[in-house]
Amino acid sequence: MHIPDGFLSAPVWATLDVAAVPTVAYIARRAQRTFEEDKAPLLGVLGAFVFAAQMINFPVGPGTTGHLVGGALLAFSLGPAAATVVMTAILAIQALVFQDGGILALGANVLNMAVLGVLAAYIPYSIWSRTRWRKFSLFAGATLSVLVSAVLALSELFLSGVRMPSAVLGVSLALFAVSALLEGAITLAVVQALERIQPKAIRQPLSNRSLVLAMVSLAAILLASVGVLFAAAAPDGIERLGQQAGISSHVRTLFRTPFADYQAAFWQSAFLSKAAAGLAGVALIYAACLLLSRAVGRKRSI
Amino acid sequence: MHHVVLEQWSRGSSPVHRFDPRAKLVVLLAVLISVATAARGLPLFAGALFLLLITGLRFARVPVIRVLTRAAVILPFTAVFAAVSWLAGDPARAFSLTVKSYLSALAVLLLISTTPLPSLLRAIGITGAPPFLLEVAQFLYRYLFVISEEAQHMTKAAAARGASVRQWIAQVHRFRAAAGALAILFARSYIRAEDVQRAMLARGFQGSLPLLRVTKFRTSDTVFLILASLAPWALRAAAERALP
Repeated sequence: MHIPDGFLSAPVWATLDVAAVPTVAYIARRAQRTFEEDKAPLLGVLGAFVFAAQMINFPVGPGTTGHLVGGALLAFSLGPAAATVVMTAILAIQALVFQDGGILALGANVLNMAVLGVLAAYIPYSIWSRTRWRKFSLFAGATLSVLVSAVLALSELFLSGVRMPSAVLGVSLALFAVSALLEGAITLAVVQALERIQPKAIRQPLSNRSLVLAMVSLAAILLASVGVLFAAAAPDGIERLGQQAGISSHVRTLFRTPFADYQAAFWQSAFLSKAAAGLAGVALIYAACLLLSRAVGRKRSI
Repeated sequence: MHHVVLEQWSRGSSPVHRFDPRAKLVVLLAVLISVATAARGLPLFAGALFLLLITGLRFARVPVIRVLTRAAVILPFTAVFAAVSWLAGDPARAFSLTVKSYLSALAVLLLISTTPLPSLLRAIGITGAPPFLLEVAQFLYRYLFVISEEAQHMTKAAAARGASVRQWIAQVHRFRAAAGALAILFARSYIRAEDVQRAMLARGFQGSLPLLRVTKFRTSDTVFLILASLAPWALRAAAERALP
């Protein structure tokens, strides 16, 4: 589910862009370090494979077809860091060349699908792949990756103020569940076929020494994505809770003060103040991204 | 295939093509942010910006109608959410979703149809994006069409042998067959990827593609950058004045 531009409200896309830039920078560096030589050509060609894989249709009941999304398959074959890099490159090309997903919404799409989607696929695999639950771990990983991405995208839309009747929400959640199960089935079938013709294509996770950590992070990802969805779908409940606790008004002033509705109040002209607030916002986002990625880089290089 | 068309447009020659990709990237961001944060007087602003983008397309000498229809690929997805917002009793949002997503797609198309993707990715590089990621994107774009054609050959060959995923019978077998085809495509892509990798290393590839031509940021680029980034904001201010 690629979110186009114009769907997310400014605070949502700006926050997610700020979060995505250092995350991707960190993961890209990590992916590069896992290879002994520069593997950009290899990863690029495999990214092209994911594009092409969408042309091969799978039967889903009579008359309808589905196709592979691919994040989970990349995570199983390349490892999570490289898979995130490939998925990010795919999303960037889709946004630029195919108008599939927006440019300002790229941060949101990257976090949903390339970072958290890939992670959600990899964690069950790293927990169970060495046990007799291996087949289940492949299926569950692929299912979870699509489900987590879809639920995150939906909750971001809710946070941006898109409202939908609860019946529609139910139907769309059911559709997401079906496509997630389909991704699980396709990924499992492809991995099994692949292991027959090229046994080394699927890599073993390095080790599952931090089993508890993996379990906890999987639970955290699931809880967070579902929790955010419910919080965003029913803001009244949260607001009531906030009022009861007496924090709501504080939070609101905290959020409102810096750029009260994007108008720097001390400027008279509406145009100048809007332009200035917009530019200041962009400069702020850029500075935050740069500082965060520098900080991450420095910590790594020591 | 449609992407070949885009590739043709982006290698044309016009004043818009000649502007520095970095300048065009900044202008695109200015346009996108002005659209994304617009609220008051949206219909007027959207109309004015639409005319401005069409003027840009005319200056770039790309076929305007075809670009407009290409940008419409966004509409089916948007229509679903617009309909849902309408059902939820928010027709204003339905309008704003449709207009904003279409205008944003049109602005991106204006950039991509006047700038070859490799130079655009290089321009993105100066913003501090990880070089490794940009190289992966370069190679992805280079091999996108090669591997897509291989996938098309495979589906055509399967269809020639009578395979049809839309049949009612033997769905499980067809599912397995499709999975097998995908596995073969993956294996072939992987082998090709390793070949490309080795060929690149043999040619001295060390992690960065060399520049064939150094682009210089000219005065005209600066003027274009300032004027074109301010234009959407000026339109928006005017629209907000006219419709309080």
